[in-house]
Amino acid sequence: MKIENTKAQMRKGVLEYCILSVLKDEDAYVAEILDTLKDAKLLVVEGTIYPLLTRLKNAGLLNYRWEESQSGPPRKYYGLTETGKLFLNELNTTWSELQNAVNIVTSQKTPKK
Amino acid sequence: MNKTVNINLAGTFFHIDEDAYLKLQRYLEAIKRSFTDSQGRSEIISDIEARIAELFNERVKHDKQVIGIKEVDEVIAIMGQPEDYLVDDDIFEDTPNSGTYKKTAPSKKLFRDTDNSYISGVSSGLGHYLGIDAVWMRLLWIILTIASGGTFIIIYILFWILVPAATTTAEKIMMTGEPVNISNIEKKIKDGFENVADTVSETAKNVSKSVSGAAKKGGTSIKSTSKNFFDTLADIIMFFFKLFAKFIGVLLILIGSLTIIALIIAWFSVGVADVLHIPGTNFINVANPGNTPIWLVSLFVFFAIGIPFFFLFYLGLKILINNLKSIGNIAKFTLLGLWLFSIIALVVIGIREASEHAFNERFVERQELNVMAADTLKISMAENQLFRNHYRSHSYKLANNENGDEMLYRKNIMFSVKPTTDSIAKISIEKSAEGSDYEKAINRAKNINYNYTLNNNALLLDSYLSTDPKNKFSDQEIILTLYLPIGSVIKLNDNVRSFLYHSSDVSSKYLNHYVTITEDGIICDGCEEEEDEETFEVNINTPSVNIDSKGVEIKGDASTLKIDSTGVKAESEKVKVNINSQGVSVKSED
Repeated sequence: MKIENTKAQMRKGVLEYCILSVLKDEDAYVAEILDTLKDAKLLVVEGTIYPLLTRLKNAGLLNYRWEESQSGPPRKYYGLTETGKLFLNELNTTWSELQNAVNIVTSQKTPKK
Repeated sequence: MNKTVNINLAGTFFHIDEDAYLKLQRYLEAIKRSFTDSQGRSEIISDIEARIAELFNERVKHDKQVIGIKEVDEVIAIMGQPEDYLVDDDIFEDTPNSGTYKKTAPSKKLFRDTDNSYISGVSSGLGHYLGIDAVWMRLLWIILTIASGGTFIIIYILFWILVPAATTTAEKIMMTGEPVNISNIEKKIKDGFENVADTVSETAKNVSKSVSGAAKKGGTSIKSTSKNFFDTLADIIMFFFKLFAKFIGVLLILIGSLTIIALIIAWFSVGVADVLHIPGTNFINVANPGNTPIWLVSLFVFFAIGIPFFFLFYLGLKILINNLKSIGNIAKFTLLGLWLFSIIALVVIGIREASEHAFNERFVERQELNVMAADTLKISMAENQLFRNHYRSHSYKLANNENGDEMLYRKNIMFSVKPTTDSIAKISIEKSAEGSDYEKAINRAKNINYNYTLNNNALLLDSYLSTDPKNKFSDQEIILTLYLPIGSVIKLNDNVRSFLYHSSDVSSKYLNHYVTITEDGIICDGCEEEEDEETFEVNINTPSVNIDSKGVEIKGDASTLKIDSTGVKAESEKVKVNINSQGVSVKSED
C-alpha cells in the first residue's frame, strides 16, 4: 500500500463534496472551480475534476450553461440544481458528523480499557 | 528546425510543433481510453480539450508563437496522467491501473513508402496500409499487369501520382499504424456504434432533464441541449454516411479503373491498329465515308468517356483515403478542357458522317434483251465464284476480284418482273448510293458494277454488286426490273427467292413453275397456293418398320430392307442386293 494512493483516495473522497460547496453561492466555470480547489491544495492535477463534474451533472446535481467570454471560445458555467442543493445540505451534515467522529477518534491518546 | 502543425483545440487555433502535437495526441487518446462510454466520454474529452486550450492560451504571448514539447509537458503536468482521471471504483484499488496508458499510433493512412521501394513505394505503402507484406502487393501488381495486357500500369501510375510519399516522421508513423484489416474494421464500426448509442442516451437524458428544467426555470439550458441533440443527430447521420461513403468509394474505384482499362484496350486495338495499318482494318475504313481518321475518332472517344471515369476513380480514392494528393487545378482544367474539346469534336465528326448520307441518288441503265413474246425464259441468280462467305444483306464484304484488286461486295439486289407491251424484253438496272452531295452520290451510284448474262434464253443474274473500296460503303443497292412482252413464259429458279422485291408482281409461289406474263400480271397454271415445302409424310402400312440407333429395318410380306453398320441389304422374292465392305453384290433368280 502506497502512501500517495491513500492520500489521493482521501482527497478524492471529499472532492465531490468540495465541488458542490464551491458552487453553492454562485455559478462558476471550470477554471474558477479549479483555482479554488488548487488554492486549498485539494487538487494536485486538474484532470481529476472532469469525470467528477460529468458524473455530478449526469446524476442531476449540477447543470451548466454556455457563456460568451472575451478571451476565447464560450465557457461552460456550472451551477447547482435544486437536487444538488439538497444533496449538498445532506453532505454538510454528514461532513460535520464525520469530522466530529474523526476528531474524537484521532484525539484519543490511549484506548479505553 | 521543426515542422509545425496547425490544430483546432476546442475552437481555438494553435501552431504546434509536430513532435509536441504527436505527444498531445497520444495523451488525449490515452485519456479517452481510460473512460468508458457510460461515463460520458465525449463530453469529458471536450471539456478537457477546452481546458488545455485555455492553458495553452495562457502560455502563448503572441500570435506567432509556436507551442513546443515544453508547453505540452507543462500542461500534462497540470492536467495529470491518465490514471489521475480515474474515479469511481478504480480509486479504491491499491494500485492505479497503469496498463490503460498505452502508446498507440493514430489511425492509419495510405502513403507511399519510399524507403522500401522498388519503383515508387506504392506496393510497400499499400502493404503497410492493408497489413500485407509488400512482396505480395508487388506480385499482385505484376499479375494484374500481365493479366490486363499491361494496362494496369496506368492504375499503378495513378496511385503513384495521387498517393503522397511518406516524408516526415509523423507520416511514416501514420503509414505503419494499425493495420486496416477485418477485425480492426469491425472494431471501428463497433466503436462507432457505441459512441453513437452513448451520445443518443446522453442526449435523451439531457432532453428530458431540460424539459423538466425548462418548465421551472424557463429554458436557460434548452438551447444547449437542443444544440446537443441536433449535434448527435448529425453524428448519427454522419456515421452511417461515412460507412455508406466507403462503400461508394470502393464501387467508384472499381467502376472507374475497369472502364479506363477497357477503354485503353479498345483504343489500342482500334486506334493503334489503324495507324500501323494492320491488315484487316481497312474493313473499318470502308465503312467511314467521311474519311475521318479512325485513330483520331477513337482518341476523342477515349477522352470523352475516359475523363469522366477518371474523375470517378479519383473521387472514389478520395473518399477512401483522406490524405490523397490533389491532382492540381491545372491538371483538372486541362482534363476538363480536353473532355469538352473531345465532345465537340465528336459532334462535328458525327454531323460530317451523317451528311454523307444526305443525298441518295439513283442511276438507271436500260438494256434490251433478246427475248420475244413467244419465248420461254429461265431466270436464275449466279453466286459469286470468288468467295463463298455468307454475309448479311445490309453489310458488305471486302474481297479480291479476278484481277486481284480488292473490291467491296454487297448483295443488296432487288428483283421484280413487270409486263410490257413492247415486243422485246428489257432489263432496267437501277443503281443507288448515298453521298454528302448530289455529285458524290451519283458518282458512287455510277461506280457500282453489276453484270448479267443471257444465253439460250437463260438469264443469269449476278447475286451481288461490287464497287471500288474507295467509293466507301454508302448503302449501295441495285433494283432490277425485268420488263417482259405479254405472252412470254418465264421460269424463276428457286435461288431468286431471297432477292424478290417485296412490291413485285412475282411472289415466291411462282418459283420453279412456268408462268405466263399477261397484261394484268402473271398467271401461273400449275401453281398451287404456296405449298409448305417443309412437310414430309411418312406412311407406314408395312407389317414391321424398325428405326433405331442401329439402323433401319423394314420387313414386308415379300421383301426386306436393312440398313445398319455393316451395309445395306435389300431382298425381294426375285432380287437380292447386298452392299457391304466387300463390295456390291446383286443376285437375281433370272
